[in-house]
Amino acid sequence: MVYGKWNFAQLCDFISKSGDVLTKNASHLDNVLATLDIQQHSLGVLGILCVKYNLPNIPDFETLFVQTQEFILSCNGEHVRYATDSYADLCHKFTQNLIERKQPIRGIGILVKAINKIQLFSAQLTSIHSNLCQLCLLSKALKPALQFLDFDITDIGKEGGHYDTKDFLLYYYYGGMIYVALKNYARALYFFEVAVTVTSMAVSHIMLESYKKYILVALILHGKVPNLPKYTSQVVARYIKPLCQPYHDLASSYATNNPVELRAVVSKHQEQFNKDTNMGLVKQTITSLYKKNIQRLTKTFMTLSLSDMANRVQLSGPQEAERYVLHMIEDGEIFATINQKDGMVRFMDRPEKYSSATMLLQMDQEMQKCIQLNEKLKEMDREIAVNPQYVQKSLGMHDDDLPGTSMKGQGY
Amino acid sequence: MATEVAQPAVNLIEMGRDLETQELEAPGGVATASIYGQLLAVYLYDNDMQCKFLWKRIPAAVKNTNSELGHIWTVGQKMWQRDFTAIYESLKRDWSEAVKPIMVAVGEATRKRAFHLISQAYSSITAEAFAVYMGMSVSDAVQAAISEGWQADPQTRLVTPKRPVPPPDPKLMSEFSCKGNNV
Repeated sequence: MVYGKWNFAQLCDFISKSGDVLTKNASHLDNVLATLDIQQHSLGVLGILCVKYNLPNIPDFETLFVQTQEFILSCNGEHVRYATDSYADLCHKFTQNLIERKQPIRGIGILVKAINKIQLFSAQLTSIHSNLCQLCLLSKALKPALQFLDFDITDIGKEGGHYDTKDFLLYYYYGGMIYVALKNYARALYFFEVAVTVTSMAVSHIMLESYKKYILVALILHGKVPNLPKYTSQVVARYIKPLCQPYHDLASSYATNNPVELRAVVSKHQEQFNKDTNMGLVKQTITSLYKKNIQRLTKTFMTLSLSDMANRVQLSGPQEAERYVLHMIEDGEIFATINQKDGMVRFMDRPEKYSSATMLLQMDQEMQKCIQLNEKLKEMDREIAVNPQYVQKSLGMHDDDLPGTSMKGQGY
Repeated sequence: MATEVAQPAVNLIEMGRDLETQELEAPGGVATASIYGQLLAVYLYDNDMQCKFLWKRIPAAVKNTNSELGHIWTVGQKMWQRDFTAIYESLKRDWSEAVKPIMVAVGEATRKRAFHLISQAYSSITAEAFAVYMGMSVSDAVQAAISEGWQADPQTRLVTPKRPVPPPDPKLMSEFSCKGNNV
């Protein structure tokens, strides 16, 4: 190979133009691979593997699996950064093949390594992230995705201009589903919100499904659906909301605080909820309504008998009420003590007095996060302010007699 | 293997991480019944809902040839439902050597969890109900309560838990106060 004379960008160009030749000689590709060294000729190996995945049928997937695995484990990270689009494409095809063969779990460890290798820093999103989440969901092995999901994203890998909105939406949709499965509803709600509020001119099905789950998770977590932020695209109000009437019905019946009404809406729209595979979440909104009603009682009463509580929140009897209260205490959703001597519940104030050293440390951490976020925003703002396309466009929108007026307040 | 398991509880978590990797790297994506069994048990010990998903992803062929997996999962199901009577009942089995020490630890952890929960949630509880949560006979449970400084009234047969003392507030690290001064 003549790496010495060329630079990597030229090499990438050459390889991408050689696709046809390589495809025509598909039977010799393994021989070519054997002559290349994964560390030294990472781009060549990557090119050939991509061609192999693009063949109309893959004769020997097991060999290709091992080749892909070896490549991801030992390729040269610096080299493949010149071909992030092919690298991502390889991971997509690899994912697709494992899904078709119903072996999603086999790809998880490899994709974790693939992301770690190509990411510039942990807050950078790549299109491989959504592949990993999909494999985790399909194989029901959710934990490996958390090491990425738990990190807040502040940057997206460009992948040679090939990064697709779909990968972004899918990452937040799948991520939301993973958090739902693990009952981390606060984080799930955030993920669905990101998917729903992405800037958009057209309706995406991923946004639509995210919006449905957003409503359900909001009900479970907060007992109501918060208003979407102002920067939400108009398509949400115009096209997505009208398609989600059953979910809006559910939210309005939830707002009556009456479990009977809520159950009625659930059975009325059962078919739709089942079709959307959201029935599990829908049922959890019912449980959550009982809990919210119990929480509401704590605002009115200091003490209450379990049978009185059961009547007020329409539970079957004191035993069920006791079970609810006990679970809520264990989950930190209520502060109370049960007295079995007289069958009473005594409600207490939240023990947190916000005066402890632990609380102070937590505040400090939160403030550090805000400061970092502010820095990041400023940096992005500066980047946009000197972006030639942006400067041209924002100046064009001004009158000629106002040249160079500051860009403040433009579209942010 | 046995020596690995016999070590203190913290190592169970480490062992779990190890088993997770082994599962992900298993040839063809299917691990052995012993890996699945031990990982299930470790998740139970940690009261980790991953247990449910692990059970769902174990291939039917493996479940069919190893009935113990099903028995471990029964414990998980009962933990999921927070049915303490059934948890202790389902734990009473002759477990295989590979999972036995973990299942013993699961029983202890469950008892600890129950004890903590009762101390938080009840200002008084009948000795019978308390014994159910602890998976013990009434007299053993009452003994355990008294040895923790709780009160038990033989007349009314009521146990009065002592509320848990919150962990002491950590001293502010000098690093933190220094940072405050410099700013």
